[in-house]
Amino acid sequence: MLESELHDLSDDADYAASQQQGSASMMLGSDSAKQSSPRDGAEIVFQKDNVAIHPTQFASERISGRLKLIKQSSSLFMTWIPYKGHNSEARLSDKDRSLYTIRAVPFTDIRSIRRHNPALGWQYIIVVLSSGLAHPPLYFYSGGVKEFLATIKQHVLLVRSAEDANIFLVNDFQNTLQRTLSSLELPRAVPLACGPSDMSVDESILNENQERADNGVNSGSLSVTQFHGRPRHKAHDPARDLSIQVLEKFSLVTKFARETTSQLFGENHSNGFSANERRTHIQANLDHSKNSSNVVENTSEKSPVALDSHEFDNLSLIWGKPRQPPLGSEEWIIFLDSEGRVTDSEALRKRVFYGGLDHELRNEVWGLLLGYYPYESTYAEREFLKSVKKLEYENIKNQWQSISSAQAKRFTKFRERKGLIEKDVVRTDRSLAFYEGDDNPNINILRDILLTYSFYNFDLGYCQGMSDLLSPILFVMDDESEAFWCFVALMERLGPNFNRDQNGMHSQLFALSKLVELLDSPLHNYFKQRDCLNYFFCFRWILIQFKREFEYEKTMRLWEVLWTHYPSEHLHLYVCVAILKRYRGKIMGEVMDFDTLLKFINELSGHIDLDATLRDAEALCICAGENGAARIPPGTPPSLPVDDGSFYVQQDDEVL
Amino acid sequence: MSYAYLFKYIIIGDTGVGKSCLLLQFTDKRFQPVHDLTIGVEFGARMITIDNKPIKLQIWDTAGQESFRSITRSYYRGAAGALLVYDITRRETFNHLASWLEDARQHANANMTIMLIGNKCDLAHRRAVSTEEGEQFAKEHGLIFMEASAKTAQNVEEAFIKTAATIYKKIQDGVFDVSNESYGIKVGYGGIPGPSGGRDGPSAAAGGCCS
Repeated sequence: MLESELHDLSDDADYAASQQQGSASMMLGSDSAKQSSPRDGAEIVFQKDNVAIHPTQFASERISGRLKLIKQSSSLFMTWIPYKGHNSEARLSDKDRSLYTIRAVPFTDIRSIRRHNPALGWQYIIVVLSSGLAHPPLYFYSGGVKEFLATIKQHVLLVRSAEDANIFLVNDFQNTLQRTLSSLELPRAVPLACGPSDMSVDESILNENQERADNGVNSGSLSVTQFHGRPRHKAHDPARDLSIQVLEKFSLVTKFARETTSQLFGENHSNGFSANERRTHIQANLDHSKNSSNVVENTSEKSPVALDSHEFDNLSLIWGKPRQPPLGSEEWIIFLDSEGRVTDSEALRKRVFYGGLDHELRNEVWGLLLGYYPYESTYAEREFLKSVKKLEYENIKNQWQSISSAQAKRFTKFRERKGLIEKDVVRTDRSLAFYEGDDNPNINILRDILLTYSFYNFDLGYCQGMSDLLSPILFVMDDESEAFWCFVALMERLGPNFNRDQNGMHSQLFALSKLVELLDSPLHNYFKQRDCLNYFFCFRWILIQFKREFEYEKTMRLWEVLWTHYPSEHLHLYVCVAILKRYRGKIMGEVMDFDTLLKFINELSGHIDLDATLRDAEALCICAGENGAARIPPGTPPSLPVDDGSFYVQQDDEVL
Repeated sequence: MSYAYLFKYIIIGDTGVGKSCLLLQFTDKRFQPVHDLTIGVEFGARMITIDNKPIKLQIWDTAGQESFRSITRSYYRGAAGALLVYDITRRETFNHLASWLEDARQHANANMTIMLIGNKCDLAHRRAVSTEEGEQFAKEHGLIFMEASAKTAQNVEEAFIKTAATIYKKIQDGVFDVSNESYGIKVGYGGIPGPSGGRDGPSAAAGGCCS
């Protein structure tokens, strides 16, 4: 039986304010809904019929059920059971039923509840778990969201998020001690009665295991035997068993939610898993969870990579969409009409996201991905734009070229800038054939482009790191003017990385800290304890988009994937989370402090498996969903700046 | 490899003064004119011997550009020694020393040993800062001073080792509480703590450095 602390339910001003916004009066925990079941000591404190999920985009195919809040001892649980015999709504097998059913989720496992009030349609809520996963939206066909929230508030601490009035945080304690206890307790739903010490034993087991897993880093993937070596949890701990079951179910439910999402986006099934494969996949997992065997054992070959906590083992198994081969010339033609327009840019972006580009195509496609050429432009229009832009480039370049040496003597800013650029271009990728050797003309082109850019955008000027970003672009475009304009397009988005006050970097590091808080609260708490919340150890990753972490070819692959903005503009932040999560066991197990962590992260350079990281990042991004997006302040690079003056939300002193 | 002590060093100074080259010359005994510019921080390490005790130097080589100062400042924490580098052929790198020193004083612990290095002394024909000016600056601010060349290796070994010797002496004199890692010193397995190790010394040499 689960137990959890009964929290102080003193009234909350935020919540009271939310009540005033509504027009109708409400009944708290209506008597009609209150039933008591003396047999097991559980009390139903809330019950609502006609609460449905939408497995497809068609509301007519909804699955209706009954939502309940159940109080047992001092713990509150939520259940949602689909009705039996309502197969007219959607064909619902017993297996589907057990897939969708939400059985007794303890509120200690719930991080937040987001309320949605669409202008048209039914109110719905999304329940986000502390693991970062979320249940599919629950639509209240007969109303009752307010009552639902009010009832919860009677039993657990519910606080309205300062960031979004429609997000209600569960167990977000103000009290530091409680918060700490809670963070220890939440990840695996261990009853508080067991105490923090039990928790730390458990963590050390996981950490030990992760250390072993980390040994596989250099060889790229983990062997199956390492998974077999994973210590099992104590067999007779009902709380733990329940928590694992719940976590496994989360993965399934979230997988299901993803399918729904794909359908909403009109995704066809030609890429990745077919519908049948997906079904089989779910089925396999379902059967495993039923007979309590280890899911990893039978399916590990499908996912050579695993993150080190249970929920994310399942996550990568279920979500790990295989990477595809890069887009080649023959397939590329299919995306174009006879005049060279990209007919479906979304499909193209998606294809590039999952596979990248053959190197030969980069020259043609990068300009489109970067937004230099419009997708709807024809071959002829692109040729025309190219010639116009070449003249424009020459004009700007001429501005600094016409500065005489006598003039330069009285132009300190120019001399400094030029000197800095000249010092840096000879320190950029010189081991590559394209840039190696004395008097390599490409180094002069790098210099000319950077200096011209510093006249194109005089306010931003030049900052170290820009040459790293330009180098692959010049290598790919192999044309000075084209490389310049592609660089300009990239800097439209990444320019704030190089602001003198570093606010673009700070806002990304801040967003990263928020994402880790959402997706891995134990790791977040660890960083907090060790005074590492500034995330400076990820500085280089973000500043130059992992350019120093991967070899050149892999960097180009990663960049074109990021530039698709396919699942998110901020996929690079999820890439950060994915890498951190992969090494979380080592980081926490070895109790790394800021210095050790920084050195460790630096030394990961060259040892990160790009494909596996991208798969994990995609999974994390989709799992985080709206909640993840809500954690990233508007205007955070590479988003285009917002105009309302609230450009960088970074007042949180944790980052500064 | 076991060590008696581990000292954390940080190398600071304007961009292009040769910080990374000094580090490479010290750790690998080679000069590599073609290397990538430093983004954020790079690490190097080497064992040295002082007073017959093996001492490991963990060296943080930082990016020099002004824009990155806010990041660089977080690296000072817990550094036992700093090499403050300027380029004797570029006057402005010498002119910026005061601002680097201010950063170091503000963000490092007060007992950090600072070595001022005038690098590129092999380029005497292009000299823009005299040796006397360097000495004068060091004296005024209580720094150790050397001119060195990462290219010819002149004084490179000496600069790193003299800094370590100064830190070592401070340990012997009881200036540091070596059990407190915020001083940038870790006692290794073969280590013998200094006479007053384990006590918060009133740090007689605070704010300055013996030389």
